[in-house]
Amino acid sequence: MSGPVNDPLPGRPSARQLLGDAALPCGAEVDLLLEQAAAGRGAYRDAHQQQCVHCQAVLGEFAALWSPVAEMAAAPVTVPPGLPAAVMSQIRGLVRDVWYTLEITEIGAVRIAARIVAALARDSARMIPGVRVALGRSTQGRLAALADKATFGHHHPDAAVGVLGRTAVVDLAVAVTYNAPVHQVARDIQRQVTATLRGQIGLRSVTVNVTVDDVLGDDEG
Amino acid sequence: MAAAAQAVHSAVADAYLVARAQEGYLDAYELLVQRHSAMAYRVALRLTGNHHDAQDVAQEALIAAWENLARFNARSSFSTWLYQIVTRRALNKATRGKSASSIDLLPDLADTSGEPAEQAERNLVVDAVTGALLALPFPQRVVIVLHHFEGLSYAEIAAVTGSTEPAVRSHLFRARRALGQQLEEWR
Repeated sequence: MSGPVNDPLPGRPSARQLLGDAALPCGAEVDLLLEQAAAGRGAYRDAHQQQCVHCQAVLGEFAALWSPVAEMAAAPVTVPPGLPAAVMSQIRGLVRDVWYTLEITEIGAVRIAARIVAALARDSARMIPGVRVALGRSTQGRLAALADKATFGHHHPDAAVGVLGRTAVVDLAVAVTYNAPVHQVARDIQRQVTATLRGQIGLRSVTVNVTVDDVLGDDEG
Repeated sequence: MAAAAQAVHSAVADAYLVARAQEGYLDAYELLVQRHSAMAYRVALRLTGNHHDAQDVAQEALIAAWENLARFNARSSFSTWLYQIVTRRALNKATRGKSASSIDLLPDLADTSGEPAEQAERNLVVDAVTGALLALPFPQRVVIVLHHFEGLSYAEIAAVTGSTEPAVRSHLFRARRALGQQLEEWR
């Protein structure tokens, strides 16, 4: 900076005037001072600013000007509580699984959508110690066509929750905690999911394919 | 889902969930939606200025992200990509003409915390800054919102807007001056 730092101020310039100028009489750039104030460093002074009445005055003015922005940025925004559910509902509408289990009873038929089977299997697997994430998928029906468009068109022969009558084949992708006994965790998942689907849905024959595709450390996120 | 299981899942990286979602695991995408819907809504609200449009934009963006997952380039983060989609959707909304309504259609979301006087003061500030933001050209609004409201770095904004860091900085210089002039009128 080469300009005068102690010349008396010619009167307090308005922020509007300052914002029309490129630099102060001391040579300091207005853009940089506004950047500093907007970054919340309006009270900080470098070596030049400690001596310069122009910079001190302008930083104070800009800090006050910017304070409503900082205040609004710091205030939490209330997100509509139903937003995630509304998004997933629309996506599920696009990929509605048309496959159901079927059980004929003496008073009528009971059908349970394959995606419900997938959700129960997933939630059941998530309760096993050592499981960091468990995802169940259902790629039957319309989802197969949409998945081609929306994903890499990945097809795995055992990928779906396949249901027919009271038989189900469930595919689960699982990430486990580092140091967890992977094979034991996978067997526990198979047993737990099979018991859940038999007990809660009344399925007779259940096959649970478990793919352990990641191992995560405690600090991995 | 049990609370404990939910907490466990919060530690899983976006990249893992994106990869599983690309393989057809809708559950994985649901976790991404739960994680990022607040951000999508917040940015949309700052860019559109009203809750109704913000909800539309956030919802459309999250669905569009799912429909285009195969095109997601893993070199950038999922959140950067989502910022990109949200800002584009908000721009579409802005250029399609006037917003759905200038009246707040979701009054239950207004800030009702604190004493009535404080609350009224806060709402005045929000109205003033929102008005000042909306008076900016859209590209300037985007850089202000992403940097000063979302805390993105110049490099991250450059990735979102397909620009360069110097260009972002230069945009920000102009945008701050313009916003400052708007705020000066309000003071």
